[in-house]
Amino acid sequence: MSDQKIEKMTVADKLYRTKYEPDAAHPHIVVDQSVCANCREKVCLVVCPAEVYKADPNDPNKVAVSHENCLECGTCRKACPFDGIKWLYPDGGKGVKYRFG
Amino acid sequence: MADADRVKVDAIVVGGGPAGLSAAHTMASAGLETIVIERGEYAGAKNVGGLVYGTVLNRMIPNFFEHAPVERSVARRELIFLGAGEHVRLTFGAEEWARPPFNHTFIVHRSQFDRWFARQVEAAGATLLEGTVAEALLYDTAGGARQAVGVRVRGDEEFFANVVVLADGANALVTEQARRELPLAPGRVKQEYAVGVKEIIALPRGRIEDRFNLAGNEGAALDFFGVPFEGIIGGGFLYTARETIHLGFAARIESLRHAGIGPSQVMERFKEHPLVRRYIEGGELQEYSAHMIPEGGFNAIGALAGNGVMIAGDAAGFVNMSLYKEGTNHAMETGRAAGETAAEARKCGDFSARGLAGYERRVRGGVAYADLRRYRKVPEVLESSPNLLSLYPRKVNRLLVEFFTLTDSPKRAQQRKAIRNFLRGLPKFRFIRDLIRARHLA
Repeated sequence: MSDQKIEKMTVADKLYRTKYEPDAAHPHIVVDQSVCANCREKVCLVVCPAEVYKADPNDPNKVAVSHENCLECGTCRKACPFDGIKWLYPDGGKGVKYRFG
Repeated sequence: MADADRVKVDAIVVGGGPAGLSAAHTMASAGLETIVIERGEYAGAKNVGGLVYGTVLNRMIPNFFEHAPVERSVARRELIFLGAGEHVRLTFGAEEWARPPFNHTFIVHRSQFDRWFARQVEAAGATLLEGTVAEALLYDTAGGARQAVGVRVRGDEEFFANVVVLADGANALVTEQARRELPLAPGRVKQEYAVGVKEIIALPRGRIEDRFNLAGNEGAALDFFGVPFEGIIGGGFLYTARETIHLGFAARIESLRHAGIGPSQVMERFKEHPLVRRYIEGGELQEYSAHMIPEGGFNAIGALAGNGVMIAGDAAGFVNMSLYKEGTNHAMETGRAAGETAAEARKCGDFSARGLAGYERRVRGGVAYADLRRYRKVPEVLESSPNLLSLYPRKVNRLLVEFFTLTDSPKRAQQRKAIRNFLRGLPKFRFIRDLIRARHLA
């Protein structure tokens, strides 16, 4: 591991230290872009601790989802006021795999 | 599936956390054939926590702390009110907390602790199906009302049982669906959730012990309030493990939304406070984690049992968000109560809601229920008195600092000025009301 200072790490830096069993072929999060297109607040962009949700760089009305970074807390699911996020558990053994927890 | 191929057991538990494992341990020990379905590769793979209260576990597995992977016992607790650059601290500890049974308060890495607990549950005779995702309950509608008769797992496999204990935690997809389908009555108020975020920071053992003034396996549990959490409903924590520090905070999701501030920003604000910064200096991040916490308390708890089903732990909302911040202990207590009820129901051969009514009765007679009831106003106080967590800690910090700041003026003038500054901008009527309300938190 690098001797990067514990202060001022980006979320991407932090997630790099967390262990995952990736499952790129089976996204466990699917957002309904027709819902997102009509949503101005996009609370998912704010509340996700892993910054899984970003404004789509090609179309700011859309939401880009990096499901492989998901920490599986479920916060987005509770926060979206329009039920626009279809969130399932990843397949057995896949997804985040806490070593400390 | 042909009937002959059906897997049928006495009990299925959904979720291999403290609640589910306690239910399984109790049922397996009573001779029930029990399966635990856990979606993680191992029990604990999806769990986050730091502090474990062990009074219930100590009844199930006496002196568990001699064998379980506990990092340190908590010999000292601290409540720290953070100003912008100041802090006020209340510290309390006891020699007796450093001796068995260690005040039943331990710092653990849940991934390791839950895995150990799962092995004890297997030793008691239960079967663990790790890496298996429970998708939904299976029902029998022959008698008119729905009766849960098993669990469908991903891959379209089905497992049948007389009774299902739902212990799928805070992010409870199976419980939520079952509540709608059966249906089970919701609580008097909607469940409220917080999100907890945590960093595991490695430091050499000796540095942790020097930095926090700890001897041997003693640990410290610190709770933080104040400026880094201004504008949101939340607070921070720091637990010293053996060679790591757990540093994190939890905040109500709705409050983050209102403030328009993300969990990672709050975490950085917290780490920037000079006191916190010095605690973690030179450390190396090992893991970043997040987990939800049901914070609605007593009034958000709905029906706990239905036909063939009991709900335990976080999935049922058994978290006490007062200063005690107790969750795992309540999970274990409700899980054990569900296990005892299943054993009783098997004797009578009645697994309907009526046959499982003993669960609600046991829970109502227990500590978790009494404590959640005692602290039922905590969610309301936190929402209606946000100044308790932000403005007042800031004010008290300034008051003390100005009292003891040396200047050229006489003490009397200096103290008057400090008090004037304290009262300036302080909503006096509300301050008194909030102080009276604060009794609900401790």
